[in-house]
Amino acid sequence: MTTGISLVRENTESMKPPRAMWVSFPLGRPLGKPGDADFQREVIMAALNLFNRHAGPVLEDFPRDLPDLEADLRMACPVAFPKKHDRSDNWVMRLTREMDLMKPWYELSLRRREGRTLVGVAEQSPSKNIVALGELLDAGDLPRDVKWLKRAVEDLKACYSEAMTAQPGDYDHEAQQVQFWQETVLGEAILALYEQYQRSEDDRLKLIARILAPREAVGAASGPTGEKS
Amino acid sequence: MVRLSDLADYEREHLLAKNTLPLGPAVWVAPDKPLSAMRIALITTAGIHYRGVSAFELTDATFRPIDGNEDAKDLVMSHSSVNFDKSGFAEDVNVVFPLQRFRELEAEGLIGSVAAINYSFMGAGLPPEAYEQGASQVAGLLKQDNVDAVFLTPV
Repeated sequence: MTTGISLVRENTESMKPPRAMWVSFPLGRPLGKPGDADFQREVIMAALNLFNRHAGPVLEDFPRDLPDLEADLRMACPVAFPKKHDRSDNWVMRLTREMDLMKPWYELSLRRREGRTLVGVAEQSPSKNIVALGELLDAGDLPRDVKWLKRAVEDLKACYSEAMTAQPGDYDHEAQQVQFWQETVLGEAILALYEQYQRSEDDRLKLIARILAPREAVGAASGPTGEKS
Repeated sequence: MVRLSDLADYEREHLLAKNTLPLGPAVWVAPDKPLSAMRIALITTAGIHYRGVSAFELTDATFRPIDGNEDAKDLVMSHSSVNFDKSGFAEDVNVVFPLQRFRELEAEGLIGSVAAINYSFMGAGLPPEAYEQGASQVAGLLKQDNVDAVFLTPV
């Protein structure tokens, strides 16, 4: 017997699993709200109660949305990114300079979250991976080791995300994403790689672009290399 | 919010393209015991695993066991999709994989027990049929653990 959460109602409707509870929460947050045990429990119990139904398939809507964050309660990113990046330096210099800026906040995040971090999927540390990424961009090379690229980029994004949310409080994760892709050198570097893969005539390489940057970030980048004004 | 009407056209089209025919003949199994006596397993398609366990590949129909006795703080995510937010999971594992919440329900007697081992798949880049072999294998493992029911979470 199964029950569970549905994030995209239309997909679940088409597949017709025996029992599902649709929630209106963002992708990536099927239980709704991090750190809110009572809210999570309410979602779980609503889905478990579907076991009391006598016939199916059952697809019910969870009756509550997530409350909107009050604008004045939203935490701001503690990292001050330079408004204008100095493009006269190479990628390695720009990326390592930014990483140095992030490190104290990432370390604060580790302390606040009692060691919890999503960094650790890649074999090398983010500090080493960001240099390797910069060297590839400076050389104009497309990374050949896709497994390394995927894991290195995931770790770097996690490191930045955790640093940018190092202080306790509620964050607007959509605003945080916009800031990452539009204000950081790392976001710019990943979008530059995205464009290189996307321009390839090899369909397999085009697929790699899709694991680097979300569609909104690519759509928001104004230039062919993701350059922002 | 994942109301398709709230999303950009390209995002809506991408998600609607994942609609599929029902995954086989309709199956309905009614519980033969109350919730308070059920042994329940968690299964997610969020691509999570313990740090140090081999990460998921770009497309990957295999699964990873999640031992509920290990420290959930060491759970990481190697899902291939970049089109969802991972910061909630970084903040609180339970927002994706609510093992702690289920332990609490077990302690309060609202459910019978939590499975010894729970499971994680990585749901990206492959059609549902690709997961049939892994899903059958997990079903066998759950039977060995006397699991009555499964709670599924996507991401």
